[in-house]
Amino acid sequence: MSGPALLRLDLPARAETLGELRVALRGAFARANIEPAASERLVLAINEAVCNVIRHGYPGRDDGILHLRIERGRGVLRMRLRDAAPPVDPAGIKPRDLDECRPGGLGINFIDATMDSWALRPLRRRDGNVLTMRKRLRDVRLRTGGRGKS
Amino acid sequence: MNSCKTEDADGLRLVRVTGEVDMSWSQDLRKEILDAMAKGSAVGVDLSAVTYMDSSGIAALVEGFQQSRSSKSRFALIAPSDAVRSVLELARLDRVFPIVESAAAARGD
Repeated sequence: MSGPALLRLDLPARAETLGELRVALRGAFARANIEPAASERLVLAINEAVCNVIRHGYPGRDDGILHLRIERGRGVLRMRLRDAAPPVDPAGIKPRDLDECRPGGLGINFIDATMDSWALRPLRRRDGNVLTMRKRLRDVRLRTGGRGKS
Repeated sequence: MNSCKTEDADGLRLVRVTGEVDMSWSQDLRKEILDAMAKGSAVGVDLSAVTYMDSSGIAALVEGFQQSRSSKSRFALIAPSDAVRSVLELARLDRVFPIVESAAAARGD
């Protein structure tokens, strides 16, 4: 990621911080002129990504840390969420069949349905994983009548 | 202000939910719904004042719905806000849950 950061957050991996996270995300997306309904979808997807790390990356722990960076550039929003949890196998992280009516497991579906692309990879030399997500700005920006710069 | 409270509404156990439902307190909502189901044969969950709901909140609703099917009791979502409806649609659950617009409809009046 190389563009100017729209938002940088280091946050404790605890459920109590989710409300604060959403406030920061809504503010950042408003500054980026993202249409409100699209902003809420992005907020939901990032909230779900953070929940997954809290639930599966740091189970039973309250000392975990998350690093979130959002930037815009070349017509896209790039979102990067890094943790220091044990490495996960990306092959095991995929959307589930929505025809099954059962509680849980929807977070990846929400991310997958919201983002244009996403990828999860473990860090090579130490504990941690990085989730990167991309969304085309032209699909989510408010139309103002003029040609906006991304 | 996030809250969920249950009241009796002419035979309906009415769970009123307010605020942003997320993982930090969705277990409280789950317990409230399951407790309401244990105490009545008809439960409605009023979601008109919910401004945000994540997948953990949806999971609490799904558990309530599944419990109602196994106990053959009545269960409905009442007047979900736009925020809730959009998440239900995303999870393709908008056609699975019984959704009504009032407590009276949830009672079957």
